[in-house]
Amino acid sequence: MSTAVVEAPETIEPAVSKAIAPSRGQRPWTFYVLAGLFTLYVLALYGPMICIYILSFQDIRGGLVFPMKGHSLHWFVDLFTQARTGDVKGSFDRSIKLALIVTVITVVVSFLAGLGFRRRFVGDNAVFTMMIGSLVAPGLVLGLGTGLLFQALGLNAAWYTSALGAQLSWTLPFGVLVMFAVMSRFNHAWEEAAYDLGASRWQTIRLVMIPVLAPGLVAVALFGFTLSYDEFARSLQTAGSLNTLPLEIWSMTLNVTSPSLYALGTVTTIVSFVVIAVGLGTIVLIQKRRGGGSAHG
Amino acid sequence: MPMQSNSPLPRANLAGWLYVSPLVLVLVPFFVAPILVVLAASVFTTDGFGGLTPGFTLSNYAEVLSSGLTLKLYLATIKFTVLTWMFTLLIGFFVAYFLVFHVRNPLLAIGLFLICTVPFWTSNIIRMISWIPLLGKEGLINDALLATGVIRQPLDVLLFSDLAVVIAYVHQLTIFMIVPIFNSMARIDKRVIEAAVDAGASRFEIMRHIVVPMSKSGIALGSIFVVSIVMGDFFVVKVMSGGGSASVVSAFYEDVGVLQYPTAAASAVLLTLVLMGVVALILRTVDIRREITR
Amino acid sequence: MKIERGDIELAGVCKSFDGVSNVVDGVNLKIADGAYCCFIGPSGCGKTTILRMIAGHEDPTAGEIVIGGHNVVGLPPVQRRTAMMFQSYALFPHLTVRDNIAFALRVRGMAKADRLRAADAMIEKVRLTPFADRLPAQLSGGQQQRVALARAAITEPRVLLLDEPLSALDEQLRVQMRQELRRMQRDLGITFIHVTHTQLEAIALADLVVVMDNGRIKQAGPAREVYAQPHDRYVAEFMGGQNVLSGRVEKVNGASFMLGQAAPGAIEVPLRARSSLGIGDKIDIAIRRDDVALVRPGGALPTGCSTSLPSRVLAIEYQGYFVKVMLDTVPDDEFVAYVPEKTFFADPLNVGDVVVATWPTELARPLA
Repeated sequence: MSTAVVEAPETIEPAVSKAIAPSRGQRPWTFYVLAGLFTLYVLALYGPMICIYILSFQDIRGGLVFPMKGHSLHWFVDLFTQARTGDVKGSFDRSIKLALIVTVITVVVSFLAGLGFRRRFVGDNAVFTMMIGSLVAPGLVLGLGTGLLFQALGLNAAWYTSALGAQLSWTLPFGVLVMFAVMSRFNHAWEEAAYDLGASRWQTIRLVMIPVLAPGLVAVALFGFTLSYDEFARSLQTAGSLNTLPLEIWSMTLNVTSPSLYALGTVTTIVSFVVIAVGLGTIVLIQKRRGGGSAHG
Repeated sequence: MPMQSNSPLPRANLAGWLYVSPLVLVLVPFFVAPILVVLAASVFTTDGFGGLTPGFTLSNYAEVLSSGLTLKLYLATIKFTVLTWMFTLLIGFFVAYFLVFHVRNPLLAIGLFLICTVPFWTSNIIRMISWIPLLGKEGLINDALLATGVIRQPLDVLLFSDLAVVIAYVHQLTIFMIVPIFNSMARIDKRVIEAAVDAGASRFEIMRHIVVPMSKSGIALGSIFVVSIVMGDFFVVKVMSGGGSASVVSAFYEDVGVLQYPTAAASAVLLTLVLMGVVALILRTVDIRREITR
Repeated sequence: MKIERGDIELAGVCKSFDGVSNVVDGVNLKIADGAYCCFIGPSGCGKTTILRMIAGHEDPTAGEIVIGGHNVVGLPPVQRRTAMMFQSYALFPHLTVRDNIAFALRVRGMAKADRLRAADAMIEKVRLTPFADRLPAQLSGGQQQRVALARAAITEPRVLLLDEPLSALDEQLRVQMRQELRRMQRDLGITFIHVTHTQLEAIALADLVVVMDNGRIKQAGPAREVYAQPHDRYVAEFMGGQNVLSGRVEKVNGASFMLGQAAPGAIEVPLRARSSLGIGDKIDIAIRRDDVALVRPGGALPTGCSTSLPSRVLAIEYQGYFVKVMLDTVPDDEFVAYVPEKTFFADPLNVGDVVVATWPTELARPLA
């Protein structure tokens, strides 16, 4: 009996400090260690990027490293006016157009595939395996294959044909995987309720599924746009004679050693951030309007 | 409650194929066909100027396999892959763990998660070159080390080295670990952990017996991404090593540059086989499709 | 073909999902037009599958489903004139109350002004006018249920199918909504088929209670009949309120027989319709728990009681208007007496007390 009394405080104490994440009270020491790790990670993630954004605002004396030499918009002007930095404006236009086309196709095809994969059908695993294969295959090899294929068929490689297809082989598997996650939260009863109330299949898709899944579809669009806009390895052998923006950046990294490169990085990142903000903002807005999301998911 | 028939009916098959047909119509010409083209090119001969002569020869494979360079390239690729995988897994796992189990406010956790994911949607190339002002000979890190007197001479090893390659990989790819691991950890019922704490399990035991096994699918998915991207990359190796190192695909890129299509194709086929083998090995440990749709 | 009435007939209905075992196994049932019918049974007994087959969300493997005189197998729900209220309602999360209710009219191509007018009339009927512009996530459970009801009712169905409509609500609301369902059913004058696993819900609501087990109907009849005169041991135990004893027939004399069982003392049971009993037959009998009287040892048995089973009190639960006394009367079966509160506290029992359990002989019932 006496040992039990003596030991009691000892058996209680570890339980308090051992708790993984107590909802209240003192935080365990691991919290501070992991919080430190997290902070370092975020610093390493954003730190270098922020450095080049800052360095892109130097004046004409600017170099590739700190310290800052003055501040101006010189390198941005240089970027869009100087011929030696290549056709930045043209490639920028092409990349945006291509990304928009890829986005639309990715959303539609991923949505349909997401619908199809909800039920088992003969050969579904073959399609799924093909998709995963397309995701993990080395992009440069696929790009070369596509380029050679076009060559063999006597077709001209161009950003809106071969590069479009090569990019889709990369964005579609991502889109379908995101769609899988989105669909898993779709309540089958909504579809049945629509059928019960007399909706046709098309009406069910148009009036129920697309609006309910809208946040997920926006997420797929976000993936489609940004993955296409930044795609490089698969476009390299397929874009034909006119460059997309990442290809332009690639050739600049090899030739240009001025802050123009950083200025281009700043510009393209701004575009990315605008797209991300629009995408995430739309999702948040939809969720908010529905009063905190689907209560019956 | 059974919602639908388990045995696939002919009608269900037709509907299923109808829905995935657009996907198949893209993947066949832009994934299957290019792979077949590369496969064909690997057994063709070349005139040395980019022209391919149809035929069947295994000499390209023999050339690739007998070259001492191939072994070196594969060793370099494996070195980069293993190092990157290790670091991304360690950082990714603990970042996800911190977000799921240590951040109490769920809204804050999602906010921090988004902060981690945003760079994924920006240009990889830009993120890579952004290391130049930091790691360069006159970069911030060398400046800081010189100023504090730790070193007398600027370190050359920081940029244009294998170290820089691994740093760039980890910087780009940790996100591919965080997202899937975060997703699988978020699905762990917190009460299971509480029950384990009540049962007297130590932090290490909880980690080993609950958190790690239950995050397995996320770890597998993240590993597939990281391994396949590193093994298929040539760009980071080329730029960040300053030409000092090469990987299988960067050598492939050089071959293509000098129009050596057949040997390049043979090397690509071998790499793809190795990659598929690694991915299949990972997929054996977990049914990704079921995990995602769950 | 136009279905005008809501009477339903199920004839030999079977359903198998795997082609091997039947989830619904040869169900025959007639439900009158305008009846309130409750299917009750444990989960997996096939009740929801029957509901879904009537609704047209599942096709029977065999058998006919006849609504208003027409075989509806293969027809979509709208042509069956059925409407379903789903478990946890399946309200469209992106549509307001008004648009949810108007959905069926919208897909039918009704002009916007007309359908909103019709929806508003329905909203008023279910007293949701102040909430017409809200989204489902902004409603309470009870309000969501009323929206689901209105959304189903706006199609003017002849049959309304309800899949566990009250299970998402808390206890108090459930009782309140129960009344509301019954009121709606009377107002609309259509057939309601309601699936539940709660006995109280079924007997409180239904004109026709259908008890199911393993894909088969065990008993179908008016609530009072199913509760007070269970057909067999399964129904008696599932519906509750009964003590079930088993034993062998020792003696048949005139209008009653003597049941011998493990406990000391034979039990006299009226024969009722059972005339084919022979000595030695194994049989179950049921006695309502509220018919059991407990007498202190040595006390006189009430009039009409011939059985006396000495028992020990195992546990006592106070239930408000009655007290549940659990006894060790029979070795293998539960034996419980529901003693009215006032009677109990006139001479309170304690755990471990020895009493004699008895009941008016004529109230014991032989089971199939």
